[in-house]
Parts: sequence; structure tokens; C-alpha cells
Amino acid sequence: MGVNNMKIIELKHVKKVYDDGFVALNDINLEIESGKFYSLLGPSGSGKSTILRIIAGFSRPTEGEVYFDGKDITDLDPAKRQINTVFQNYALFPHLNVFENVAFGLKIKKMPLNEIKPLVKEALHTVRLDGYANREISELSGGQQQRVAIARAIVNKPKVLLLDESLSALDKRLRKEMQFELRAIQEKLGITFIFVTHDQEEALSMSDEIFVLNDGKIEQNGTPVDIYDEPINNFVARFIGDSNILPGRMIKDFEVEFANKRFQCADAGMKPNERVEIVIRPEDLDITEPEKGKLVVIAKTQLFLGDHFEIKALDSDENEWLIHSTNGCELNEPIGLFFDPEDIHVMRKHESQEDFDARLESYEGERDE
Amino acid sequence: MKNRKIFARLYLYFILIILYVPIFYLIYFSFSSGKNMNKFQHFTLAHYQTLLQDNRLIAIFLNTVILALLSSLIATIIGTMGAIAISRVRSKKHKQTLLALNNVLMVSPDVIIGASFLVFFTALGIGLNFGSVLLSHIAFSVPIVVLMVLPRLNEMDYSLIDAARDLGANNYQVFSNVMIPAILPGIASGLFMALTYSLDDFAVTFFVTGNGFSTLSVEIYSRARQGIDLEINALSTVIFVFVLVLVLIYYFISTKRGKKARGIMRELIK
Repeated sequence: MGVNNMKIIELKHVKKVYDDGFVALNDINLEIESGKFYSLLGPSGSGKSTILRIIAGFSRPTEGEVYFDGKDITDLDPAKRQINTVFQNYALFPHLNVFENVAFGLKIKKMPLNEIKPLVKEALHTVRLDGYANREISELSGGQQQRVAIARAIVNKPKVLLLDESLSALDKRLRKEMQFELRAIQEKLGITFIFVTHDQEEALSMSDEIFVLNDGKIEQNGTPVDIYDEPINNFVARFIGDSNILPGRMIKDFEVEFANKRFQCADAGMKPNERVEIVIRPEDLDITEPEKGKLVVIAKTQLFLGDHFEIKALDSDENEWLIHSTNGCELNEPIGLFFDPEDIHVMRKHESQEDFDARLESYEGERDE
Repeated sequence: MKNRKIFARLYLYFILIILYVPIFYLIYFSFSSGKNMNKFQHFTLAHYQTLLQDNRLIAIFLNTVILALLSSLIATIIGTMGAIAISRVRSKKHKQTLLALNNVLMVSPDVIIGASFLVFFTALGIGLNFGSVLLSHIAFSVPIVVLMVLPRLNEMDYSLIDAARDLGANNYQVFSNVMIPAILPGIASGLFMALTYSLDDFAVTFFVTGNGFSTLSVEIYSRARQGIDLEINALSTVIFVFVLVLVLIYYFISTKRGKKARGIMRELIK
């Protein structure tokens, strides 16, 4: 299925200003290809749900257009879009039972009952709720209601399924389980999923592609690996996973200075002596003897988190370093930190995604990656 | 502590007895074979028999029921629409004003409402008959319905409407398939409240009735003025039982226990 790279949804210069003057979305441009799993990731108020509501048709953009299969659907009624939504609170109809909820869309389309029945059965099978057709909604657990909401949407065979913070009401264990299941359902149906979440782990584990949003703008988009390994700026680096962010200076291509030392790095294409920020992920830092380390720090606190230790340490400039290590260390003793040039990621200030991509292109072609 | 509990309970019983004694006293004598309520003679259903033979009274009883059903039904439709309209008002100030106007009608004395309707109908040259009574009953029932339906609308999860639209429903389908079922308990409560208000209204009806049209409460009043007849006791008993049944139905619809019972009913119907 992955070969089908057809553009199914496109937002062009979409802007949304609310009555009170609040700018929810500021010039959003995005393209969604069919058959992929997308996440819109951002903190609350970043505009991710507004994008979803505009795609679903519940909300009209103040400016800009929305295209579906190449056609302008900006003003099209939600009832006429081949898009269905799984709502944050599920929005199941309380006066209808499971079967009637799932059959709702088909009944509205005046499909005869003998055709509806097998389709509902199949949808309930997909979400593993066989035999629940006659249950009342109030008898179901949160996880089961979630599944009914998914079944109610997919039974209409939409081309795109929108999921609005759909897992946030579930407990942690159930949420993990549903993440796998959602991905499995998406792969089985081969339709596009657009998933809104504020949980970076959720976005990283499920998506083919992530849009990171902040203040009504797309900060960065790319695959989970791209975004984790090459965050474009301070916001993305902080929002996606834990990170050590330090001010630094680009000496020349492939050489950067921070914490009063010069290091080999894998970044290039910047002006000499440009002020930059560097990111090193805590799990990329290895603990070694002080004399073998590239940096010497003093461990201040240590937490055992089951699969790793979380160590906070200070270097001689009082910069705080977060280290994830499978081995513990002695507190208040000097330890060495070792990292590879590839583990240092350099971020320019105010670099747009296009410039960022172009710069990466310019020097990464020469290297192996 | 325990003494206080006993006192509280005794007080409650005392109040309930005071409230219900007159009614039961009246019911008690409706079964007495005598001409007055001075002394219970012996048990008889004679007064109920006279009641059944009293064609005028039966006609008035039917008038009252038809009036109550018709006025409560129309008031429920108007009131529900009104509640939906009020719930859609965006400006808070506007909404408060509309609600206040609604509530003023609820609390203003029936005498004033009745008198104002009389003035109104006379000024417009509308004859005082079934029509004028019906109009006034609808008018005082609408605010009750609004008050019963509005909380349901406020409680309603508006994402249900989005969900229905998302699944392809047009405006009418959203209204009939999602909105009405969601607020149905409120509509039903409103209907029954309006029904009981109309059934036992005296003051308003007294002002606007005429041309031989009468309701039970007005009839009982005019008969009681000519001296108490035990037939009236029997009639009052019938009304009391009738209203009691209505209240039980209302309870059945509006409470949780009622909800369970409704579920069982629905299973039975299936």
C-alpha cells in the first residue's frame, strides 16, 4: 500500500482568527498523502485541533483553502466529506446501543438494514468488539467506547479518518495497547489517519509523519526519526523527548564550540562563528572515566527508572547535563562524558524548514547517510 | 444526636400529616352515606354513582382533560423551540434577559395573569370560551416547559451534533435523531408539568372562561359556594387520584430508578 503517494488533503495558506481576535492558525500549509498515518503534535492551544476541525468541516478557515482529492472543499458541509472523525470524548449517542451507534451513518444514507448488518459486524470485528452489538453505551468501559467510536467512523469507509486526542482519556496501559491497535487498523484499512495529540511518545511510536505545531504554526514536519534526530529548533528539541540544549558557536563546517571546548560535529553549511544552539540527547551520552571523556562533569542526582538511570550532572560552567545510562555512577565525583560527532546536533536560530532541508541536502549528500 | 434525629423525623411526619389530613378527610367522607361531613354514617359508593350519572360533570371533566392535553402539547412544542432558541443565544446578557422574562411569568400570581388575559381578550374582542381558556393555558405553560427543557440543552454534549454531521446527517436529521432524544426527558417532564398545571388551574381559568365553558376546578368552586355536597368529595377524590397517577408517571420518567424501569419496558416491547 505504501507505494500510493497520492496527495489527498492539502491546506493552502490557512488562517483562523477567532471572534475575540485570537489567531489560532497562522498561514498553515500542509500536504497529506493517502494511506499514511499522520500526527499533529503540539501543546494545548497550538492549533492542532483547529486544523482537524477545519479538515472535518466543523470550522471554516478565516483565510486560505482546503483541498480534498484536488477539489476545493473549504465551504463543503461536513456531511458531504469523505472524512470521518473519532472525537476526543468519543461523542457516542447515549440513547442508542452499540449497533445503532455504528449503524448511524449508514442509516442516514438510507442503506437497507440487511446491508447495514454485515458492515456493522465487520466494523465491530475490526475493533475487536464482536458480540457487543446489543450493549448499551453506558455499560462499556472507556476503552470499549473508544473502539465503538472508531467502528462508527470506519464503517462509512472514509478516505481519511481524523482522531482528536482519542487516547488521552485512557489509562497508560490501555493507551499503549490502543496505539498498537490503531496502527494495525490503519494498516489493515489502508486509509489515511490524522491523529491529533499532545503526547510526543504517542506521535513518535505510531506515525509515518509528524507535524509539530506551536502557536498556530508548523514548526517542523518529517518522519519520527527525522524529528527526533534533527530537531529544527529549541522548541521542537524540548517538546520531542528529553534533551540537553546549550548555546554554542560554529567555528567552521563540522566543528562547533560549546562548554568552552571545540568538538567535531556532523553539521555544516553555516556562517563561520555563527551563534547556534546544540542539542545532545541524554541517551547519546556515555559515562566513562574522567580522563577518557570529552567532557568532565560532576553527578549531582541519580534516579533509577527501571530500564535506565537518569543522572543530572553539572560541568565546570554550571551547565546542567541530563544523562540516561544503563549504568549508575558515584554522586559528587567527576565522571567523563563521551559522545560521537553525530550525536551533536546543531540548530540555527530562526531557520525555516525549507532552508533547513536545503542545508541538510547540501552537505549530507557527500557523506554516507 | 439520636434525639435530634427522632425530633427531625417527627417534625417531618407532623408536616406531612397537616398537609394530607384535609385531603384524606375529604376522601374519607366521599365514601360516607350522608348529606354532610359531620359524621361518617356507613360506607357507600353512592356519591360516585351520582357522579357517573351527572352528565354535565362528565362533560366538564372531559373538557378539562382535553384542554389540559391540548394546551400542554402545544405549550411543549412552543416551549421546546423557545428553549432551543434561548440556548443558541450567544450573548450572555441577552440570554439572561430572555430567561428573566420567562421566569417572571412563572412567579407572577395567577390572579394577575388571569386578569391581564381577561383585559387582553376583551380589548381584542376575542370571545370568552374554550379558545380563550386554551390560549391562556398555553401561555402560562410555555415558561414551565422552557424551564424543564433548558437544563437538558445545557447539559447536552454539543460534540454529539458534530458527530452526527460528521456521519452525514443534515440539519433536520441532527435535530430529530440526536437533539430531540438527548433532551427528551426534559421535554417529557415539561409536558407533564404543563399537564398538571393546566388540570388544577383555577384562577386564570376563572377569569377567561365564559359562554358555558367550564373546567372542573371552576365547577367545584361554584358548586361549593351553594353548600358542600358529598358528590364534590367524590369528584375531588377522582381528581386527586388522577393527579397522583400523573406524578407517578413523571417520577417514572425523570428519576434514575425510572430509567431502569424504562429499560426493562423497552426490552419487553422488543
